[in-house]
Amino acid sequence: MSWAAHDLEPYAIQKHSRLKIAFVPLLLGSYAPDLFTKWYVYGIHVGGWKLKASDPAQFHRGWPGLGFTHSFLYGAVVCLIFWKVLGSKNWGVSFMIGEWAHALTDAGDTVGTMLLFPWTQHFTVGAWAYAGQTGRFMDAAAYFSGLGGMWDLVWIVYGFFSWQVLTRSYFEQRVYTADGLWPLANKAVPVAALLVLYRAAFFYGTSRWIAWTIWAHVVHHYPYDLSWGGPHWVHAANP
Amino acid sequence: MKRPDRRQLITLLGYAGAAAVYVAIGVLVPDFLLSVFVAAAFLLLAAWVVPMIVRRIV
Repeated sequence: MSWAAHDLEPYAIQKHSRLKIAFVPLLLGSYAPDLFTKWYVYGIHVGGWKLKASDPAQFHRGWPGLGFTHSFLYGAVVCLIFWKVLGSKNWGVSFMIGEWAHALTDAGDTVGTMLLFPWTQHFTVGAWAYAGQTGRFMDAAAYFSGLGGMWDLVWIVYGFFSWQVLTRSYFEQRVYTADGLWPLANKAVPVAALLVLYRAAFFYGTSRWIAWTIWAHVVHHYPYDLSWGGPHWVHAANP
Repeated sequence: MKRPDRRQLITLLGYAGAAAVYVAIGVLVPDFLLSVFVAAAFLLLAAWVVPMIVRRIV
């Protein structure tokens, strides 16, 4: 799985798309595949009960499981719901692009994604280890020690080179005008606050990349392993 | 590549300061890093609410 890439890719897509893209559903689409699955992949405690998938990788990416959330079909179906049921083609297409970006990015790890579901073939590049089954903190340690963390770094660096997408003028001219949600929100909240919220995902992706890197390598001394499919000190799940 | 003007650099410094605080809290309490909603609320506080209060006081 990927971490900060899902926060940062929407800014690059927004910048380069020739379509009129709505940023909020684009970001929502980028987060959507994990929204209803990650808590059960890592497990949570409710009272004295621990709720956790018996096979986290299968549940997260496979079938049977919720792996269809990482497919092109899932994005297309939600797109159609936004478009035909809720009446917003813009929201539908934007969501779909964000969801497809997520599904393609997650194909970079050793489990991969069922991009062409209902065909259950996993498409996997295998560049970094999928370690969700080891728990949230070990997964973080592994991810930020391998090529996954480096892939996130590419997006951070790219974001800084494309800093104009974070400016107030870009927000007012390109983002605010592309989606009726912003003017609606502006009735209750000033533009300055909306601008901060627009920047929040970039702030989150960049800051948490730095924080997890410090946590993994300065506080806990997990070794870097930038070899293909690494780090190899953690058990990598496979399809 | 176009370079940011002075006003944009000041804004960037403000966000960098907020990021430094967020990172410090996150390293000490990693659970703080787990939610984009917590991060958005933190940023709203650090980059909008606090500067607004300071501007009103000064």
